[in-house]
Amino acid sequence: MGREKEKENPSQKALNLLRTRLSNPNFVFKPLSDSPDSNYSKLKFIISSSITEACNNSILLLGPRGSGKVAVLELVLSDLLQQYPEAISVIRLNGLLHGDDNCALKEIARQLCMEHQLLFSKVASFDDNSQFLIAMLRECGLAHKTIIFVLDEFDLFAQAKQRLLYSLLDAMQSVTSQAVVIGVSCRLDVDQLLEKRVRSRFSHRKLLFLPPSKEDTERFLEHILSLPKDSSLPHSYTVEFNGRLKNVLADERFKELINTYLSFNSTIGQLMRFLFQAVSYMDLDVGFLSLENFKTALSSTQRQPKSECIKDCSILELYLLVCMKRLEVKEQNSYNFNSVMTEYKSIHDFQTSDNYAGNVCLRAFEHLLQRELISFTDNRGHNQSVEFRPVKLLISPAELYHGLKSYRSCPAILLKLIAR
Amino acid sequence: MATETPKKQLQSPRKPKQSLNNLKVQSSPLSISLSPQTPQSLIPPQAPPRRSLRRTSLHFSSTPIEDSIEYEKSDPKTPRKAVEEIGKISGQSRKGQSHEERVKTPKTPKIPKSKRNDENRKTAKLGILGEGMVEAEVTFSSVTPEVLETKKRKRGEDKTVIPRAMATRSSKKKEKKRVYYKKVVYDEGEFDVGDDVYVKRREDASSDDEVPEMEECRVCFRAGRSVMIECDDCLGGFHLKCLKPPLKEVPEGDWVCGFCQAQKLGKYVEFPEPPEGKKRVRTLREKLLASDLWAARIESLWKEVDGSFWFRGRWYMIPEETACGRQPHNLRRELYRTNDCADIEMESIIRHCNVMSPKEYAKANDEGDDVFLCEYEYDIHWHSFKRIAEIDNDEADDEHADSDEDWNSSKEPDSGTDEDMEYEEESTRNAQARLSTAHLAANSRKGHFFGLQKIGTKKIPEHVRCHKQTVLERAKATLLLATLPKSLPCRNKEMEEIMAFVKGAICDDRCLGRCLYIHGVPGTGKTMSVLAVMRNLKSEVDAGSIRPYCFVEVNGLKLASPENIYRVIYEALTGHRVSWKKALQLLNERFSDGKKIGKEDDRPCILLIDELDLLVTRNQSVLYNILDWPTKPHSKLIVIGIANTMDLPEKLLPRISSRMGIQRLCFGPYNYQQLQEIISSRLKGIDAFEKQAVEFASRKVAAISGDARRALEICRRAADIADYRIKKQISTVNSSTGKDIVTMAEVDAAIQEMFQAPHVQVMKSCSKLSKIFLTAMVYELYKTGMGETTFEKVDT
Repeated sequence: MGREKEKENPSQKALNLLRTRLSNPNFVFKPLSDSPDSNYSKLKFIISSSITEACNNSILLLGPRGSGKVAVLELVLSDLLQQYPEAISVIRLNGLLHGDDNCALKEIARQLCMEHQLLFSKVASFDDNSQFLIAMLRECGLAHKTIIFVLDEFDLFAQAKQRLLYSLLDAMQSVTSQAVVIGVSCRLDVDQLLEKRVRSRFSHRKLLFLPPSKEDTERFLEHILSLPKDSSLPHSYTVEFNGRLKNVLADERFKELINTYLSFNSTIGQLMRFLFQAVSYMDLDVGFLSLENFKTALSSTQRQPKSECIKDCSILELYLLVCMKRLEVKEQNSYNFNSVMTEYKSIHDFQTSDNYAGNVCLRAFEHLLQRELISFTDNRGHNQSVEFRPVKLLISPAELYHGLKSYRSCPAILLKLIAR
Repeated sequence: MATETPKKQLQSPRKPKQSLNNLKVQSSPLSISLSPQTPQSLIPPQAPPRRSLRRTSLHFSSTPIEDSIEYEKSDPKTPRKAVEEIGKISGQSRKGQSHEERVKTPKTPKIPKSKRNDENRKTAKLGILGEGMVEAEVTFSSVTPEVLETKKRKRGEDKTVIPRAMATRSSKKKEKKRVYYKKVVYDEGEFDVGDDVYVKRREDASSDDEVPEMEECRVCFRAGRSVMIECDDCLGGFHLKCLKPPLKEVPEGDWVCGFCQAQKLGKYVEFPEPPEGKKRVRTLREKLLASDLWAARIESLWKEVDGSFWFRGRWYMIPEETACGRQPHNLRRELYRTNDCADIEMESIIRHCNVMSPKEYAKANDEGDDVFLCEYEYDIHWHSFKRIAEIDNDEADDEHADSDEDWNSSKEPDSGTDEDMEYEEESTRNAQARLSTAHLAANSRKGHFFGLQKIGTKKIPEHVRCHKQTVLERAKATLLLATLPKSLPCRNKEMEEIMAFVKGAICDDRCLGRCLYIHGVPGTGKTMSVLAVMRNLKSEVDAGSIRPYCFVEVNGLKLASPENIYRVIYEALTGHRVSWKKALQLLNERFSDGKKIGKEDDRPCILLIDELDLLVTRNQSVLYNILDWPTKPHSKLIVIGIANTMDLPEKLLPRISSRMGIQRLCFGPYNYQQLQEIISSRLKGIDAFEKQAVEFASRKVAAISGDARRALEICRRAADIADYRIKKQISTVNSSTGKDIVTMAEVDAAIQEMFQAPHVQVMKSCSKLSKIFLTAMVYELYKTGMGETTFEKVDT
């Protein structure tokens, strides 16, 4: 049944296609790789020239998270593996996993063994492994093979004595070896972290990954969202889909919308996430993307969890929050349940409709703690009871004010109190 | 041999008529009928065709061997014993069928044979493991006899030649022992270890003998004295005057003869026929390239008990014989060195040939006809190629081999039974991991890494050979940090000082308390200078002007822990691996107590410790121990320490600094003239850089760090950028309009990339909110004047 429906419905197919595209980094970064200024072609040039000219290089790929460093690198590596099928072996390390020199070397040895169908022993010592590495570098160099070391989270390798980096880079410059070390990091000053003798051996190729410019983004949106002409989808549908999409993309309101989104975070990875959400909101019955889809996606990314939390609070809890805020305004920085209670009592000196007993208030207070709208200021005093431990607000006064305003039936007195 | 011909054709369908004359002399038909049973079919596909071919070709000419095969096949269950018996049997069989002097080698050949058996069994077994078969024993036993025979059968029919061998080294010739030589004069030719020779392939090969020394002209068929030119395609020789039109002088570059040109154009070409009555004589080179001869490299020479001379040869292969055949980029005169060795009797040597590395080959243009190029080593088991190590390593290897041989020859005369063991060792050395990969891991080192010979390209990639380097690429290659410059400019003074220090220490008999501390910022050539000095000294040792010494190099950063240095030193000195505590004890015995075990221990020892500061432990005992040894009267130890910090001795305990801080050498950072000189000395002869560009780069680097590595990297990067630009231009415009020279702009770009933090660029392109946040933070900073602030404060 479901399958039949899929067959009938081109919009379902189109949706699937778009989703696959958005989650496939290869497709996303392909169009950015054409121009000679792109990181893709630069990186490819550096690596391929070090393969053909038998030289050693070390490259740093820098850029904020989600800017496509690893994706571009993978793209380059897969291309090169096709171009020189025999001449490359890639060793991948991650700073989070192999930050320790000893275990990094072991991992290198393991991957080298896998690559060349050698037997690997787990018990080999640091010395053995490092000598094995050097021997392998030499042999591979003699056999015109390039070893590419990909060090993800490079900044984590650049800690402590940096023995791994030193031995890698030193082997690269003394032996007849062919190796490329590629460091991927989101710390821009990662080369300053290197020790001076390691830095001196590092050949400072740097590639900076920046968010795309406005024109690029537009080109890019069109490339991703428009359906291909030569797919299994019915032709008329494709044409109409693309036509409507063009209208949406050309719309001023859409541009504004995208700009608001990009002003938060302008990296490609984030943009992809946004588009994925927008595409998922597509109405299957209509079968076309509309401006509304993007709007809902944007508003869903801009949720304010705390003010939404306030909506679910009881009136008493709101009273407590307002009291705490008033205490903070009075510059009473450290307060606990008891001081809040005195404030609460003082409010009710002139207003008595919402006056509750102390134990009820304590219950509400505990609920607020659970919702994490307030928390204890420190971890000390676990043995103390809740009333005596100092607490703090986790919600800003502005948020609280907006929350109160949008509350269904907020007592007017509360708004007055918070405004004062 | 009849069986061999068709196979040959399968392999290289080039000139079937060559084998016609072989067919004349035939052995029994039995061999033909038996041939399908030969192990070739049993050996898994990775078994090299050449080896087996070679073996079979020799093997089938004799009938008695077949019997032995039958015999062994009947007894497959006891392989070990079979080995012994094969040895005997084939010995007997050889005796039985041997026509000539082979009779006079009654006992000795047994040993090499059993060894060969062993080796061969390894291959067979391994192959079978890979195939998942079980009948290893059968295969093995059937393989062996051929192997045994190969080498023996190499001999030609020229027994008329009486071995006139005499050893140049007239050492004590003990009877009943093998004697190893470095050089043998045999048959009026001098043969050294490491020489390359032609080896006869089969007995009838001498039928068209009287090998011409000079090649004949392909047109007039006379050798003559006048200048000949060689076609780069068919390797035929032509007199300059015989050509049409005649050439006045040898042209530069490649030259292809008219016949080849015409053939390439698809025409049918009739080669000039030789005059009547004169047979066209092929030179040895032609025969070799047509695989009618073999070439081998002499690895060792020895004299058997009976006085016959043998050598262990390492085969060369022509490209047609490899698994992937001739590749388009192979040169006509290219050979591959294999890892296949064999024991060959000296009589089968025809004469010398010259197999050269590409560098020598490029230089040696007119050294006669027997010049070949050899750049790669071919692994016959894995069918893979590997470049032969560069000269530096080659030397080291040679030295290693030499010392090994010394050791062999010194050990050899001890006892006859020792030979077996020694052979075992040798075979493990040669054929190490073939067996061992089965059960030993590659990265756990017990003296060797196992299975490394698996690595190698199946084919030599084309881009390596067929690519003409542009100027920029050549520039980049010379600027590589890995390339060792021919000369080290600007460090003469320091090098002299080191040289004087080391020489003084070595020549001084006592060498008391010698310790040198070298310091300087990274990239100022500290290690390189010391190593250069050591290289110079080694050449002096070779020349005999100073006494031999041993040199140990340790890098502090490459040790797992500082204590491991004892182990590394001890291993470098003696070759044994022990735990560091034991090593410390032994080293203490040797250096401070003056206990000498072997004669080698008497040599002075130079210890170079790179990155010395890494050896500093909490109680600094490692440094103390190492620096204390030189002060002992009989230690003969010289320590050279290298580190970056100038005041390392002062930071240490006084008892250490008093031992280390006396003699110091400072490597200051290079200034811009020196950097410029370094770069331009590397770029000599390559016109790729503007002069100002080099100066700009060196001034920049000198102002910042004075690090030569950095300067070289900047220049290389600049060349890279220029190269990139030009290549892109070519691909887009289709015409190279850009001049291929590195200008200021590129150097500037490289410097920017290297020295400038990318923050500005990132800030330019980051999102609006992050910009706002940054400005808020800066504002907060100005307001409070504090270096640190919290998120909440910035928020307000």
